[in-house]
Amino acid sequence: MNQGYRWPLVSLHWLTMLLIIAAYVIGILLDDMHLSPLKLKLFSWHKWLGMLVLALLPLRLLLHRLDGFDHTTGLRPWEARGSQLAHAGLYLLMLAAPLLGWLQSSATGFQVVWFGVLPLPDLVGKDKALADLFKELHEGSVNLLLALIALHAAAALYHQYFRHDGVLARMVPWLRSKT
Amino acid sequence: MNTLLLGLMSLAAAAVAAPAAWAQDWKVDAGKSQVRFMIKQMNVPSEGGFKRYAAQAAFDPARPEAGQFRVEVETASIDTGSSDGDEEVKRPAWLDARKYPKAGFVSKSVRREATGHYTALGDLAIKGQSRPLAVPFTLTRQGAGWRAEGHFPLKRSTYGIGGGDWNDVVADDVDVRFNLVLLP
Repeated sequence: MNQGYRWPLVSLHWLTMLLIIAAYVIGILLDDMHLSPLKLKLFSWHKWLGMLVLALLPLRLLLHRLDGFDHTTGLRPWEARGSQLAHAGLYLLMLAAPLLGWLQSSATGFQVVWFGVLPLPDLVGKDKALADLFKELHEGSVNLLLALIALHAAAALYHQYFRHDGVLARMVPWLRSKT
Repeated sequence: MNTLLLGLMSLAAAAVAAPAAWAQDWKVDAGKSQVRFMIKQMNVPSEGGFKRYAAQAAFDPARPEAGQFRVEVETASIDTGSSDGDEEVKRPAWLDARKYPKAGFVSKSVRREATGHYTALGDLAIKGQSRPLAVPFTLTRQGAGWRAEGHFPLKRSTYGIGGGDWNDVVADDVDVRFNLVLLP
């Protein structure tokens, strides 16, 4: 029996989580930092990690489709509906948050040069008011994303420790039974 | 004897100054002119400029190579694209705007390269250090006046602008760009 997702999708899932956490922590640090060489480096890394989340998203969606795993198996209809909504929200915000950050960077007048090598096109021209707006939206989308990630993690733990239905093991290979 | 010497000297001075006597003084149209620069930080090209500067140009359009050009920027008027950046580069480690409020170029001679293309040879002074520089530029007709446009590369390290940990993130190379609309 197919107990879970295949390793490429599993790797991408956890890699994305690490990238989001790292980008978030750096983002929080940046807010309180004075201009320094370190700040410029962290700013770049924050953008590079965010762009990586964005770049991996289509690949994840493709692999998810190829996997053809029905993740709603064993769920009540309302649970399946809720799960679908939550996942749609997660994917939407993993698209929106980096995109809004990219827009903010463009509007601030700083191009994103991915890993210092690949210049990404500016999405909008330099515009202070627009930059402020995108900053708000970027932060809002990130907070919403984190809230959904918390809900997502809580639901996974609930399945593992209360429902004992192996849902968590789909994403955690070493929890799967060895049969 | 002294009077004779003085007389000869003033004659000589008049002879040297003669080409300038035909030159016309041109006024900068500040609204259409720009003194800007491009520098990379973390390999991200960022454009900046100077909001306040003075430019003097005295030349005869028929013979610009006999003219004189001078551009002086107010270091404190620098615009790096972010207010944090502006404050940083006015510090002593960078431009030291308080001690050196001006930086500028004065031409000593102008070489004609081709029609409309010239090179101004002169001195660029930043942070109290003056160094020879060749500035290529073009002169094109702009209404009743002229547009002098060009750019030249500059290394921050040559003039001791910035340094330390900043060198890890900010490039040494700066491209200085000017676009001056000169009106009669």
